[in-house]
Amino acid sequence: MSLVFSAKTSGSDDLKAIISAISTLVEEATFVSTAEGISFRGMDPSHVALIDISWPNSAFEKYECDSDIKFGVRIDEFSKLIKRADKKDSIEISISDDNMLLVTIGKNKKYKMRLIESSATDTPLPKIPYNAKIGLTNTEFDKILGDVQVVSDYLTIRATPTTAEFSGKGDSGEVVIDLEKGSEQLTELSVKEESTGTYSLEYLNPVVKAVGTSVGSITCEYSSAKPLRIEFKVANIGRIHFYLAPRVES
Amino acid sequence: MGLDLKPILQREKTKLESFTSKVIAIDAYNAIYQFLAIIRGPDGQHLTDSNGRVTSHLSGLFYRNINFLSLGIKPIYVFDGRPPSLKSAEIERRRQIKKEATIKYEKAIFEGNLEEARKFAQQTTAMRDGMVDESKHLLDLFGIPHIQAPSEGEATAAQLTISGNAHATASQDFDSILFGAKKLVRNFTNSGRRKLPNRNTYIDIEPEIIDLQKNLDELKVTREQLVDIGILIGTDFNPDGFERIGPKTALKMVKEHGRLENIPQIQEQLGKIDYKQIREIFLKSEVAPVNNIRFKEVDSDSIINYLVKERNFSQERVETALNRLKKTIEKKSQTLEQWF
Repeated sequence: MSLVFSAKTSGSDDLKAIISAISTLVEEATFVSTAEGISFRGMDPSHVALIDISWPNSAFEKYECDSDIKFGVRIDEFSKLIKRADKKDSIEISISDDNMLLVTIGKNKKYKMRLIESSATDTPLPKIPYNAKIGLTNTEFDKILGDVQVVSDYLTIRATPTTAEFSGKGDSGEVVIDLEKGSEQLTELSVKEESTGTYSLEYLNPVVKAVGTSVGSITCEYSSAKPLRIEFKVANIGRIHFYLAPRVES
Repeated sequence: MGLDLKPILQREKTKLESFTSKVIAIDAYNAIYQFLAIIRGPDGQHLTDSNGRVTSHLSGLFYRNINFLSLGIKPIYVFDGRPPSLKSAEIERRRQIKKEATIKYEKAIFEGNLEEARKFAQQTTAMRDGMVDESKHLLDLFGIPHIQAPSEGEATAAQLTISGNAHATASQDFDSILFGAKKLVRNFTNSGRRKLPNRNTYIDIEPEIIDLQKNLDELKVTREQLVDIGILIGTDFNPDGFERIGPKTALKMVKEHGRLENIPQIQEQLGKIDYKQIREIFLKSEVAPVNNIRFKEVDSDSIINYLVKERNFSQERVETALNRLKKTIEKKSQTLEQWF
């Protein structure tokens, strides 16, 4: 029985962003393909952060999948290969009869890559209420992380109905960045309850950098002393959810 | 030598980091015994304090636990109680080995062969009076729980995985699997770089997981049958096993005939051992009742007091390690599990 699975993107940016985001957390990744699209879920080895990706079939230029399949890759190998694509190159992935991953970049570059046995177990998602929601551009968020990193390893986010306050404190000093509701940088601010959470830059920085400029606007959702969820939109209808556990309060 | 199930079990390599936020029930005697075997000077002598008392076990426990706690791993130590009477033959056999090794050790020292001396010194490793109490005292100062098993520690440790109190047991011995441990981690307390005996090379020892149910599925046997396989190979309670039966033959025989009583070619030997009681030890062992295991805070001052003032550890090294632990605990993010 030969099963049909193939997915083709129109450009390479989205796939690059997704693979880079995953590579900040794990070394091996197992993707699941169904008729609806491709998904991935995985945690870093110390279970502080989780990435949950949903990439619906309609986000692809062409998508076919007869029956559900799982395929595992070493993310550094996959990433190197995807980086060979130019911005405008389409990327088509499928599985060969001898169980290799076929990756066609543009019209004439055909890679064949070994798959690994997928060891993925079912990872649940954190069940948390989100009392605060902050929307801003990824570029702006990246800038804030850079500002805070100068003095601290942690980002504290405090959201009130009228302001989003990003701050950090370290041995050398501290920083506060205030964004008022309605300001240009802030695309959304809705707060059910004033919330404060502190999160590690060690995890935030790499993923925000990895996703880069290809995503435009992002939303941060959290509640006091609870995990943070950041949504990165991919190709308008796909999304990456990045969950991060809060820092232990001392 | 413990039970030799290695050739038929599937073991998955892993990293110590993968046990973050998990409770691991450690076979305490097994761990301390390893510290005593490994932590020695170049001539094979133990580390000692100014009164000549051995401190290798405390050194092992100190640095390992710093490491576990830094990674957010939650260790519980389970100590052996009284061994089942069937173990006396094995205990006597070990005593003999140590006696012979002591003689060989002295000969090697006399001949000035340090490499040989170190090897034989490791074989003489024995727990002495006081070491268990000293170890428990240090664990108390770390706020790490320990449990006294009524009999075999591995049985109580296995029970902790069955009751859901622990994620896995940690021991070098495969017996834990026969005791029903859902997951056994090997190389847990000795992972890292280690010098190979008689060679000037180092190897990286990585933890490995043996999952009981996965292995039973793979081998297509029940846990009762795995115990029978163990008895054929030789357990601590019948150390000689059966003549000319290794792990693979044992597996084949049990799969073909179902149980020891039905394997025609072994009936004569089977009559000579108390196999029913050995089965009982593994399958219905006496275990310690466990409720409310509590992890407490690390008492750094008391640890410094005990190790540096009483047992002559280097103040600088102990303080550096404790400070490093304090820093990582302060910096640590929580894990997502508590919200699943």
